[in-house]
Amino acid sequence: MRVTSLSQWLTKKKAWGVLPFAIILFVFILLALCAPLIAPLDPLNQSLLARLKPPGFFANGVTRWLGSDELGRDLLSRVIYGTRISLLVALLSVCVSGSVGTLIGLIAGYRRGWTEILIMRAVDIMMSIPAILLAILMVAVLGPSVTNLVIVLGLTRWPRYTRIAYAQTLVVANMPYVTAARLAGARMPRILFHHLLPNILAPLVVVATLEFGLMILYEAGLSFLGLGIQPPTPSWGAIMNAGRDYIASAWWITVFPGVCLFLVVLSVNLLGDYLRDYFDRRSMTS
Amino acid sequence: MKFLGDIMKLHKLGLALITGLALASTSALTQVSAQTKDALSIDLPNEPGNLDPHGQYDTDSYGVYRNIFDNLVTRDVSGKIIPKVATSWTYASDTVLDFTLRSDIKFHDGTPLTAEDVAFSITRIINPAFKSPQLANFNSITKAEVTGPGKVRVTTASPYPVLLAQLVNMSIVPKAYVEKVGDVQFNLQPIGSGPYKFSSWQKGARVVLEANDTYWEGKPPFKTVTFNNVPNTATRIADLKTGRADIIRFLTADDAVQIKADPALKLLTAETERIGYLFVNALATPTKDVRVRKAIAMGIDRNLIISALLGGYGKQVDIIGAPSIFGYTPDVKGYPFDPAGARELLKQAGAVGAELTFLTSPAYDQRIVQAIQQMLNDIGLKVTISSSDQRTFLQKRQGNPEEAGSLAYGVWSCACQDEDGIILPLFKTGTIWSKYSNPEFDKAVTAARETLKEDERLKNYAKAHAFIKEDVPGVGLYQFVALYASRKELQWTPTANEAFFINQMKWQN
Amino acid sequence: MTRFLINRAITALISILGVMVIVFVIMRLSGDPTLLLAPQGASAQDIERLRHELGFDQPIAMQFFQYMWMVLHFDYGTSFVQRIPVLTIIGSRLPYTLWLALTALAFAITIGLLIGIASAARRGGWIERLLLPLILVGQSLPTFWSGILLIMLFSVHLGWLPSSGADQASSVILPALALGALSMATFARIARTAVIDELSKDYVRAIRAKGIGETRVILTHVLRNASIPVITIAAIEIANLLAGSAIVETVFAWPGLGQLAVQTITGRDFLVAQALVLIAAITYIVLNFIADLLYSLVDPRICLGARGR
Repeated sequence: MRVTSLSQWLTKKKAWGVLPFAIILFVFILLALCAPLIAPLDPLNQSLLARLKPPGFFANGVTRWLGSDELGRDLLSRVIYGTRISLLVALLSVCVSGSVGTLIGLIAGYRRGWTEILIMRAVDIMMSIPAILLAILMVAVLGPSVTNLVIVLGLTRWPRYTRIAYAQTLVVANMPYVTAARLAGARMPRILFHHLLPNILAPLVVVATLEFGLMILYEAGLSFLGLGIQPPTPSWGAIMNAGRDYIASAWWITVFPGVCLFLVVLSVNLLGDYLRDYFDRRSMTS
Repeated sequence: MKFLGDIMKLHKLGLALITGLALASTSALTQVSAQTKDALSIDLPNEPGNLDPHGQYDTDSYGVYRNIFDNLVTRDVSGKIIPKVATSWTYASDTVLDFTLRSDIKFHDGTPLTAEDVAFSITRIINPAFKSPQLANFNSITKAEVTGPGKVRVTTASPYPVLLAQLVNMSIVPKAYVEKVGDVQFNLQPIGSGPYKFSSWQKGARVVLEANDTYWEGKPPFKTVTFNNVPNTATRIADLKTGRADIIRFLTADDAVQIKADPALKLLTAETERIGYLFVNALATPTKDVRVRKAIAMGIDRNLIISALLGGYGKQVDIIGAPSIFGYTPDVKGYPFDPAGARELLKQAGAVGAELTFLTSPAYDQRIVQAIQQMLNDIGLKVTISSSDQRTFLQKRQGNPEEAGSLAYGVWSCACQDEDGIILPLFKTGTIWSKYSNPEFDKAVTAARETLKEDERLKNYAKAHAFIKEDVPGVGLYQFVALYASRKELQWTPTANEAFFINQMKWQN
Repeated sequence: MTRFLINRAITALISILGVMVIVFVIMRLSGDPTLLLAPQGASAQDIERLRHELGFDQPIAMQFFQYMWMVLHFDYGTSFVQRIPVLTIIGSRLPYTLWLALTALAFAITIGLLIGIASAARRGGWIERLLLPLILVGQSLPTFWSGILLIMLFSVHLGWLPSSGADQASSVILPALALGALSMATFARIARTAVIDELSKDYVRAIRAKGIGETRVILTHVLRNASIPVITIAAIEIANLLAGSAIVETVFAWPGLGQLAVQTITGRDFLVAQALVLIAAITYIVLNFIADLLYSLVDPRICLGARGR
């Protein structure tokens, strides 16, 4: 029963099981896009006399549904705007590292020879420097800003994609249709992007989803070390870092962004798992 | 079901493995004995840089090594400089200071502390080859020599009124031992003459000191003292609550609320010589216009910062100084909080909407930085916070005026309770911190540095403070109150210079 | 085999050299520690003199060759901040990092594998539906938050475990949980996929047809083959754990290398930081090598040194 019904499990139940998480992700993307429309108050507006108020606190005609933070700012508005920054940083850094890493991996796998050796040594070197340490150093050199954060995360994470793109390219590059294209006189960019890339994309997409969740956590980690997003701009990591000294006295500051962060990372991970199963199955049947 | 049973077995195996691993690894590591009344355990946010008293300049090392060593002179609770190793001192001339020393002090290895050791210690610090980070505090000294048994003569290049105040921070090391074992070994196994002996330092974890039962000022209160390295504030508070620590330092007013709510704990406070201030760049950026700088001074609600963010733990100041600091003047008043006036001034200066950069680093209280940002935005400026790590912050702040940003918040202490260590390095033309230039101000602070006559010095500092008020290269915000939390049974009165003398603490019976 | 080892050694040396050049250059670009060491009132000349005494006014290339010369003589220098030999500092902290990382790894592997295997064996059962998502929680929370929550619950509230430090055997439990939680889900996931893959293969059907019990099928046949991806991941995860320990060690005041790395990089204690990066790089390379060796042990079909077919 187990084995025979396996594929049915995957197609029917799994897809339905993943739906709620897709919805969660969609909601957060919506929050990020429409932050100015949804947020009840200005996320930067302080009220020093209404600091650390609990959820539901009512003053001056507005209710602070999630309470206020250590400077009396509306936590709900900050979390909503924080969604924007956190997702943006994660998305951009995945795009940067993913595209750079994939391109380099494609080239290494296709060109072989010295290019391959140089690239794969560079990958080894980058992988053997602990990412968080490299990030600390680079933020120190470049200075912390959203752009630099994306550059730093992109630069430290590209080797993961390169490895996979390289391994996959090695397999695909010897397929008859690629040889045929080459003999027909196709140029390298065309072979890379038209013939190779589409056939190696699946595992890369899976890695990208997992990395997306990781990038949100990395941004939070850098905030903890004081090297994340510039105050007073809210990101989930920045809000949680500012609130970590208040875990006992004002739990809401860390709990709400923490739950959001958890939900997004979880959803992205589960979607990644689903995609992996989906691609695996497709490659099995084809 | 059988499968689950096997899983459970595997699980038990795993647990046994983990416990075994944990036990095996601990037996190899040192164990700390259970808490007793004889012991005191302290959580510090950083581990000491090193325990060579001349080898570093940081608060965390200072709090530890001051208990191992004796200093030439010290301060009493009121802040007055009083004898310690030196019993008396006289000025032979404006540049020559003679000390007479106690003869009954012994180092932990039993050798007596002599004039040779004192002269050696001073010479060691001022020797550039030793690379002491403290050199800048003592480089006015040209030589230290033994002039007889128990007599030391210190010579300075020019009259230097702050010499004694600096010597408060100078620890005496044993010449014979240091010369015998070398600097590295001395740093690993420091020997002093203080109330506590160095026992062990487990890197990254803790420094353990043991009572020096034959200490010349009497038997110290605890048999062993442990300084734990605990970087995270919430963890330090948890340690205090669970009894792993008996006293913790560097709390914020918001932490204090938690401490007060716990009946087993108490809060200890001390007004310090630290002054919270706002640096305003007078040489570059839109703040080059004095009207903008005045508007900034008028736009900051110091009272609100103190009452809302500091929970009342802080005292408003009018100048960058306080009554416990030499050079204080009550005659110069600060700008009152006047947002309307500030807006008006900005309009006159044509600086409404001017973009200012507020430099900072994680080392500074980000809540205060953000609160000031909002206050200044409220009067019509556009302030952007630029936070970088401490090293990069210092480089920018101490670099060219053009790159030093418009604003920076800091909490300044020279550990010498003298304006010579505060407004001179902050504002005198050409110092690394100064982004301000006024020959009259320079003349006043230089004159105050080059004479030993106290009334003349005071007069010059009053003048200097008046210039600062007029030109606003900086704004005094508040006098910093240090917050400590301890178990209820611990008896201790913290002091203004934030010295952390274990000798002055005891368990209440 | 010999040729394989020589090849590996050469590439390893190239990687290590590359790591050192990159880290050395970025570190010098981030500025020297002079400003952090000097007292507040120091003048520009004081700082320049200190910089000169510490040797930071020399060209980067010069500093690099001096450093390489030292390293070739197994001299890692003396910390500018602590003023004692780098090896002494690292030597006293290394056991703690190993202790924490290995305990965390043991947590992650045992719990992760059990849940992964069980959920593969009983598709759609309660383990897959409840426990699998539950351990994902551990991977989806920033450790600086989950760590403090663990301290508050188990130390302050319940009083079961020490709140910080490494004073007792039980001190390792909370930080190892916080750290291990990061990898637990990864192991569960990999194990689950691998076991599902194996279960669908023909040889399993054949064994089952012989009437061998399900438990034995999994424990004796499937696990062996499913362990290859787990070993690969374990090698990568140890490197991740070492990196993740920077934050966990800070939160739990654990005296290991992670905390030291953060301190020495922010404090620009170059020689210590460089030695740490060197250790991390060597660890990574050695772990990958061990993983390769293990493959060939687990699956003799994989031949060391064979070029891709």
